[in-house]
Amino acid sequence: MSATMKNALRISGALFLIAIVAWLYQLKEGLVLTNLQNSYSWGLYISGLAFFVGNAAGGLVLSSSIYLFGVKKLKPLAKLGALTAFANVTAAMLIVLPDIGKPIRLYNMLLHPNFMSPLVWDVIVLNLYAAVSALYLYILMLPDLTGPLARFAVKVADPAGFSETWARRIAPVALLFAIGIHVITAWIFSTQGARDWWFSPAMAPDFVSVAIGVGTAVVLLAAALAYGTGEKYQDAYQTLALIVFMAVCVHLFLMMNDLVIHAWFGDAETHRIMEIAWGDFAWAHIFEVVAPLAGAWLLLQERVRRSLPRLAASAGLLIVGVFVHRFLIMPAAYNNIPMTMTPLGLPGVHWSLPIASGRFFPGLSTFLDSYAYAPSFIEVVILLGIMAYAVFLVLLAIAKLPILAKEVS
Amino acid sequence: MKMGMVIDLEKCIGCRSCMVACKQHNAQPPGTWWNRVFTPGSHHHLTPPAKGIEFFLPVHCQHCENAPCAKVCPVGATYHAPDGAVLIDFERCIGCRYCMSACPYGVRQFNWEAPEKAHQRAGYQEHYRFGYPEDHRKEGRLVYAPLRPKGVVEKCTFCAQYRDKGELPACVRGCPGKARMIGDLDDPDSEIRKLIRERNAFQLLPEKGTKPTVYYLPPKAKEI
Ligand code: SF4
Ligand code: SF4
Repeated sequence: MSATMKNALRISGALFLIAIVAWLYQLKEGLVLTNLQNSYSWGLYISGLAFFVGNAAGGLVLSSSIYLFGVKKLKPLAKLGALTAFANVTAAMLIVLPDIGKPIRLYNMLLHPNFMSPLVWDVIVLNLYAAVSALYLYILMLPDLTGPLARFAVKVADPAGFSETWARRIAPVALLFAIGIHVITAWIFSTQGARDWWFSPAMAPDFVSVAIGVGTAVVLLAAALAYGTGEKYQDAYQTLALIVFMAVCVHLFLMMNDLVIHAWFGDAETHRIMEIAWGDFAWAHIFEVVAPLAGAWLLLQERVRRSLPRLAASAGLLIVGVFVHRFLIMPAAYNNIPMTMTPLGLPGVHWSLPIASGRFFPGLSTFLDSYAYAPSFIEVVILLGIMAYAVFLVLLAIAKLPILAKEVS
Repeated sequence: MKMGMVIDLEKCIGCRSCMVACKQHNAQPPGTWWNRVFTPGSHHHLTPPAKGIEFFLPVHCQHCENAPCAKVCPVGATYHAPDGAVLIDFERCIGCRYCMSACPYGVRQFNWEAPEKAHQRAGYQEHYRFGYPEDHRKEGRLVYAPLRPKGVVEKCTFCAQYRDKGELPACVRGCPGKARMIGDLDDPDSEIRKLIRERNAFQLLPEKGTKPTVYYLPPKAKEI
């Protein structure tokens, strides 16, 4: 293990531990430690869920490209894809925990599941995807489980052939669950008729397209960090960059399509949504459009792909842009109170009922109809810790397991 | 039997007695209000938004028949009691707050911290407690507790603890204008059904398809 690797493991492991301690503290004090309140009831953690779920798409892109579309040059990266998928989908499940008021009671999901609830569907499909990603990774590693790792290998006559056959068989199942996690995570929001900002049939396809973009960028970044930017994988990188760019374009199209339709009709709800998207959050909104597009465009450039710092910066820009996109799921939903009315005798007036915050904020009214949410310190610490967890897991697996192609390791 | 409520806005004088009765009887922690009385169109209570126009609108859980809060609840903690009231099982709720996003009426409230701590923070006298003092179970499920567990969601129960003893909800009893009435929506001859028919009752956000069981009787324009 190189010194850099050791240090990276130490730092990411420490950040994850800090997040666990912060979460235990939050468990003791309650979600009062976040900056959420009744009218703005989901924030950074649930944005984090959408973010990690998106990042997990890399495995899907690689497995289906290789085994369904026959793009053989991506094969050496398949294990990295499955690994980043597993790390991110488990991170997605972890980041939900601190958002839950009574996590001790999660067993109720098993004892009394309500199958009408998209949240139950999401928990099921996230678990299935995590399991199938782990299995897929194992099958891919099987021929290389030698030496001290041999005791973990199932005994088959021809490990390489077995691995190839089963990888091919699992790929379509994995594809199904992989699309499932994005669609169902989107449905958690887009089934909510109460919230105009979410209630859109464009949300599920948009989640799929963002995910294919950012998930592939995550694999591209991981591959460049692991293998460098030499000649060997340039071909594969180019293919990945093309997938990223196309996915980001489809995502921007779906998003703009939704905004134009909302804006054109211009009813009172939409008006408020536009005010939030273009007023208070105009800069964030511009960033969520420009950053992924610029990042994806830069990755298309050969010059960028041949330099590790440039590639990392471009992929990083895209990932941060998508993170901001995920953050913006919330403000226009919560600052647009669903219970609005035109008071009797006052046509033309659009009046929202304020909501009791349930919290004591010095200097703020108890009753709020808009709220400038910014995550609290503990929310940020926990989110960073879960990001660190994903990094830690990927690094540890690379260090201990036969993830990288032989020539390099 | 399907529980329903009618609120006569002609009789409502905006005194907010129901708000206070609700808050007190149901031991709501500081910052939490299950029931609110608004002056629609105005930023201040009891201030006419325009000359000659002023009416009041009490809003609490609408006990929807097609309740999105119950549909999204992953563990069935939010459920319909046999009489149609929408209740929350304080022992089953995992505190995911999905229901708060799902409810279009903004009436669901979370326990961001333990109620004792919230009392302290708001500067209540030490050990001062108000509200119905005992836990209340309906078919074994904890639907009311004077001290709520931290991390669960709560809202109006139509005063389950009182109705199960044959008493009226606190807001109905506390209204000096007798503007509130509960009854059986399934019975076409019930008093509330009659009022709904004869007085052009309306519901809040009918377009959301939630089928509220709370109906409002429109007021006449007032001369002020
Ligand atoms: S008003 Fe809200 S909390 Fe009450 S039943 Fe309807 S959706 Fe549920
Ligand atoms: S917060 Fe409680 S009542 Fe609301 S959806 Fe979650 S588990 Fe159900």
